[in-house]
Amino acid sequence: MTDTTATAHTPGQGKEQFEPTIIAFVCNWCTYAGADLAGTSRLKYDANIRIIKLPCTGRIDPLLVLKAFESGADGVLVSGCHPGDCHYTSGNFHARRRWAIFHRLLELTGIDSSRLHFSWVSAAEGQKFADLVNDVVSKVRLAGPFDAVNPARRRS
Amino acid sequence: MTNSSADARVFAAGSLDAVAAALVAAGFRVVAPVRQGDLTRLTLWQPGQAIDLEHFTVNSAKEFLLPATETIQRYDIDGNDFTPVEVAPDATKTVLLGIRPCDAASLTLMDTVFNWDFEDVFYNTRRQACIVVPLVCTRADESCFCTSVGLGPDSSRNADAMLMFAEGGKKLILSPVTEKGRTLAASAGAAAQAAPDKTCDVPVRFNVQAVTAWLADAFDSPAWAELSAGCLSCGACAYACGSCHCFDIQDESAAGGAVRYRNWDACCMALFTKHTSGHNPRSASQARWRQRVMHKFSYIPQRFNLLGCTGCGRCTRLCPAGMTVAETCERIDAICQSTPSVK
Amino acid sequence: MSLIEAIRADASQLLQEGHVKMVLGYRARYDRRLPLLITQADQVTALVYDEACWQNLPTYIRKSEVRSAMPVAIVCRPEGIRSLLVLASEAQIAPDAVRVLAVVGSEYRGAMDLAAAAELIKDLPPAPVAPDVAAKLDELAAMSANDRAAFWRDALAACTRCYACRASCPVCYCQNCVVERNTPQIVSTTAAPHGNFAWNIVRAFHQAGRCTLCGACQAACPQDLPLMLLNAWIERQVREEFAFISGSGLNEPPFIGSWSPNDDDKFIR
Repeated sequence: MTDTTATAHTPGQGKEQFEPTIIAFVCNWCTYAGADLAGTSRLKYDANIRIIKLPCTGRIDPLLVLKAFESGADGVLVSGCHPGDCHYTSGNFHARRRWAIFHRLLELTGIDSSRLHFSWVSAAEGQKFADLVNDVVSKVRLAGPFDAVNPARRRS
Repeated sequence: MTNSSADARVFAAGSLDAVAAALVAAGFRVVAPVRQGDLTRLTLWQPGQAIDLEHFTVNSAKEFLLPATETIQRYDIDGNDFTPVEVAPDATKTVLLGIRPCDAASLTLMDTVFNWDFEDVFYNTRRQACIVVPLVCTRADESCFCTSVGLGPDSSRNADAMLMFAEGGKKLILSPVTEKGRTLAASAGAAAQAAPDKTCDVPVRFNVQAVTAWLADAFDSPAWAELSAGCLSCGACAYACGSCHCFDIQDESAAGGAVRYRNWDACCMALFTKHTSGHNPRSASQARWRQRVMHKFSYIPQRFNLLGCTGCGRCTRLCPAGMTVAETCERIDAICQSTPSVK
Repeated sequence: MSLIEAIRADASQLLQEGHVKMVLGYRARYDRRLPLLITQADQVTALVYDEACWQNLPTYIRKSEVRSAMPVAIVCRPEGIRSLLVLASEAQIAPDAVRVLAVVGSEYRGAMDLAAAAELIKDLPPAPVAPDVAAKLDELAAMSANDRAAFWRDALAACTRCYACRASCPVCYCQNCVVERNTPQIVSTTAAPHGNFAWNIVRAFHQAGRCTLCGACQAACPQDLPLMLLNAWIERQVREEFAFISGSGLNEPPFIGSWSPNDDDKFIR
C-alpha cells in the first residue's frame, strides 16, 4: 500500500534530483474523477505525472503502455474502477486479464514493477490517488531514469 | 579461373583474423562472416572474433550499403519552431572481407538503381567508402545458382581485391584488382604468389534467356497460381536478397524532435501497394510473387540490361515455405521446353 | 504400410472421392522439408513426412486460394491440431471445412474431422517447452531488470522485420495486422531496438492463450531469434495462473477476451 506519511515533493527542490516522467492511463469514470477530487480537495501530489484519460481501462491497449516507455516515460501508471464498479460493467475485468499477462511479459523483457504500476482508484478516493502518485513517483525516482540501453526506449 | 595478380599476398588461412586486425589497425572498419550460434552472419568484425569462411551467411552485404534502417534526417521541434537537421552519411572506410562473388556482383544493380534518376547520397557515400573483397567459392550447395544468371564462383565483378584459397584451403591469396584493393595489400604481408584452388562446380539450373523471353508475355498466365501457391507473403527473401533495394520512409516523433528513417520494404508484403483509398492492386499473393519474379527477370533487364538476381541462393535457404526464384525459373523453363511454340 | 504411404493413400482417396479439394502436406527439396499444396490425387506421390517437417500448415488457411478450395485436408501434428481448434473457436473456420491427417509422434492416426481431432488431442499433453528454453527462462528470471533489458536488446538486434514469424503462425491471420496500421503508425516499423522490441513483444502478447508452442515462428526466422522464450513464458503464465491450455476444444472461449471475477489482482493496488 502507499506510504501515507510521504509528503509531496515539488520539482525544483532538492539538489539536482532526477525527476521522473510518469504517464498515467486512467479511466474517465473512476480514477480521473478521483484525481479531480484530489485537486478540488487541494491535496498535494507530485507534478511528475501526466494524465491521459480514456473512457475505460478496457480501452487501454498494452501498446499504449509500450508507446509511453518508447517516447520518454520513466514510469507508467494504469488505473481504473474497482472490480464490479466499472461504468461499462466489465471493461476493467477484461483489462485485469490482459494486464496479468502483459505485466509479466514486460517483467521478462526488462520493465518491472518498479516502473509499471496498476491500481483501482474510485471517484471517491482522492486521497488514495494523491498517495498513490507520490508513491509511484518515489519508486520510479529510486529506480532511476529509464535505462538508455533498454530496447523499449526510442533513442534518436 | 582467376589468377592472382602480380602484387598478390599469400598467408595462412588461419591468419585471416590477423589480417583483419591489421586492417582495423590501419584505420579500416572490417565486415566479415562470423559464426553466431547456429548461423553465420556478415557483421562488423571485432578483433578476437573468428572469421568463418566455411558457411554461407544468412545476410548479404547489402545491409552495409543500404542498412535495414537508416536515419536520413532529424528535426528539432521547439514549440512551433521546426528545424531540419542534416544527417551526415556514413563515410567510414569499410572492407567487405570474405563476402561471396554473388554478393559483390549484386552491387552493379544497386549502384544503377541508386543513381539512375536520383543520386542517393547515403548509398553513394557508403559505396565509395567500401572496399569489396569477395572470396572465390570452392564450395557450393544445392541452393547456389550463380551460373544460371551469367555469373560464376570466381566472378570478379565489383571486386577491389579477390580472396582465393590455395593449397587445398590451407592458404589464402589476397589479389588486388583495383587501386582501392591495393591499399589493403600492405596489411596482408609480403608479396607472394600461389596457385588458387579449383573453384566449385555450380550446375546451371535453368535457361535464363528463355525465362526472360517467356515473362515478356506472361503477365496473365494461369501458371502463376501454381508457381505462387506456397508463398505466405513475408519479406524474408527480399531482405536476405543482395539485389532487392525497395525502401519505406518513416517519420517518428517524440518530445523535442522527430527522426526520418529509411527502412527496408518488400513487394512480397500485402501493404506494399495498398493505396490510401484502400484499394490494393496486388491484394493476392499470386500477384506479388509474379511481381517479384518479373521485376528481377523481366523489368530490370528491360530497363537496365541487367538481371535483378545474382544466384546467391539465400532466398532458397531461408524461405520458410520453400519459395524460390530459382525453382520458379526452373518451372518456367520446363514450361518453355514442353511447349516451345505456345506461351 | 509405412506412415507416409498411409498419408498418401488417405490424401489420394479424399481427393478422388471429392471429400476435399486440396491437401496440404510436405514435400522434400534436397534435405529441406517444404509445404506442398496439391489438388489432384496423382500428386500425392510428392508428399513426404518425417521429423524434419516443422511448418505449422494451418497457417495456409489465411490464403484466399486455400479458403476457396475448402474443404481441405491438412497433415497436422498435435500442435497443428490445436491451432486448428483455436481457429475454429475464433470462428475463422467452420468445423467441417478442414479434415486432419493426424500424426502423433511417429504414428499416423488417420484422416479425421475436426471434432475427432479434438477428441484425439484431449489425451495428449500440450507441446513441451524445450529444455534450453526453460533453462534460459529460469536464468532470465534471476537477472535484474536492466540485465534482462540488455539481453533482449541484443537478442532482438538482428531482427530485420521480415515478418516470417507472422507468416508461419496459424493464429496470426489478421488481414490488417497491427504493425500495418499506419494512420497513425502505432508500432514502429523501424528495425532499431525500439521497433524490434515493440513488434516482437506485441506479437507475442497477441498470441497469449492462442499459441500452441509449435515453434514454427522461431524455425522460420531467418535470424534465429529466440522467439520461443517469449511464447513459452507467456504460455507458462497462462497455464499456471489460469489453468488454460490453448487449442483444447472446438468451442473454447478466448483467453484474453474472457475474464473471471476470481482473476488474480494481487499486482493491482
